[in-house]
Amino acid sequence: MSGMSARPLRRDADGGIVAGVCSGVGRRLGVDPIILRVAFCAATLVGGTGLVVYLLAWALVPAEGEGRPTMARLAGRRETWLVVGGSTLLLLSVLLLLREWGLWFSDAIAWPVLLAGAGAALIWRQSAAAAPAAPPPPGPAPARVRVGGPGSPDPFRARRLPTPALGPVTVGAALVVAAGLVFLWLNDALAPARDVILAVVVVVVALTLILAPWWLRLVRGLSAERAERIRSQERSEVAAHLHDSVLQTLALVQRRAGDPREVANLARRQERELRAWLNGGRPEPGDSLAGSLEAAAAEVEETHGVPIDVVAVGDAPIDEQGAALVAAAREALVNAAKFAGGGAGGSISLYAEVGEERTEVFVRDRGPGFDLAAVSEDRRGVRESIVGRMHRHGGSATVHSTPGGGTEVELVIER
Amino acid sequence: MRRRLDRVSLVAGLAISGLGVVLLLDRTGVIEVGFGYGLPALLACVGAILLAAGLEGPRR
Repeated sequence: MSGMSARPLRRDADGGIVAGVCSGVGRRLGVDPIILRVAFCAATLVGGTGLVVYLLAWALVPAEGEGRPTMARLAGRRETWLVVGGSTLLLLSVLLLLREWGLWFSDAIAWPVLLAGAGAALIWRQSAAAAPAAPPPPGPAPARVRVGGPGSPDPFRARRLPTPALGPVTVGAALVVAAGLVFLWLNDALAPARDVILAVVVVVVALTLILAPWWLRLVRGLSAERAERIRSQERSEVAAHLHDSVLQTLALVQRRAGDPREVANLARRQERELRAWLNGGRPEPGDSLAGSLEAAAAEVEETHGVPIDVVAVGDAPIDEQGAALVAAAREALVNAAKFAGGGAGGSISLYAEVGEERTEVFVRDRGPGFDLAAVSEDRRGVRESIVGRMHRHGGSATVHSTPGGGTEVELVIER
Repeated sequence: MRRRLDRVSLVAGLAISGLGVVLLLDRTGVIEVGFGYGLPALLACVGAILLAAGLEGPRR
């Protein structure tokens, strides 16, 4: 098979001048793109068809490296309306040109057919998009499906249009109805109904004018009621959270007042939880790097009774490298809690900066410090659990410590 | 570093220039552009700009 037919048509978005249509077509046909560019420009200057064809190719031919054409990728986005509006205007201009040249049936047929076609296309597209998906793989069905009956999804629910599709379907239906009305009007078939329609319109307008003040008051009342309901729900949420966290902790503190260490632990845990809640929720430990670091710090804090300040900037899903980083950081925290936690100014800090390409974690304490070279070979805490673990997972660990000057463990992972 | 082309501006410039050339030719009497041709040309011009803006996607 020749190379020409084996290679699908793609736009050369990077090598092209505008959207890479000429470059892509030239490569596909084995023609110099400059010839195609000149042809497009000439066709644009002569009748404008070159520009229309170019834009259509831009919309319909996918670029190199893209699976789907631009139009398909745009579906459901804000730019879709720009594309739809632009395409409609271009189509309208072509139709007006055809009408001017006499290639036309009649206004009484062509415009209603176009309107009805656009409406039907909208409705068909939405109904096709809402078609039931492929049957689920064998295995336990999700609980949501089993609500309607034992094991079988609701057949009516599967055929119902999703809420986002209702807008386009309504527009499509309105276009089809409008097409019918335009057809009847242009063929003078609405004349007998004109008097009835006029009377109905007058009555509707009169009723609207009479009922408008009540309707407005009703709408405002509903809005105020909704706002009040939201405020009430928020108050209930705050009250429930305070009860579940702060009040319960205070009760525990009263009960264990004789154990200062336990009281300090409780207060610290409550402070951490309250801060996380005020900051909009805590990331889940199992899913995120920052959440796992916080969980590790909390565990060490509870076990050793030493306050640990955790600051995490950024977050990322945890992977094998991240898990190693968390384990190394935990080991550094345990060491700091063991050897520096009880000293003067015995707080420990953990600072994590999670970037897209690099993650850094610093564990600092103000303890007595130590000489790394003097640590014996059989002590595996720093050498294996921190430095060795980080090296095995493509990262690095550096321990900065001087006797009397505290210790800082720097853990870095490049992604 | 190669400067990235603003495609929307290019299409808009081309479309408006084309429209301007057509109107200029009409003014000088070379061609006669009536409502039947002027309106489609104007619609095509606006449509091309809208389509290019939509296809280009959101500006960063």
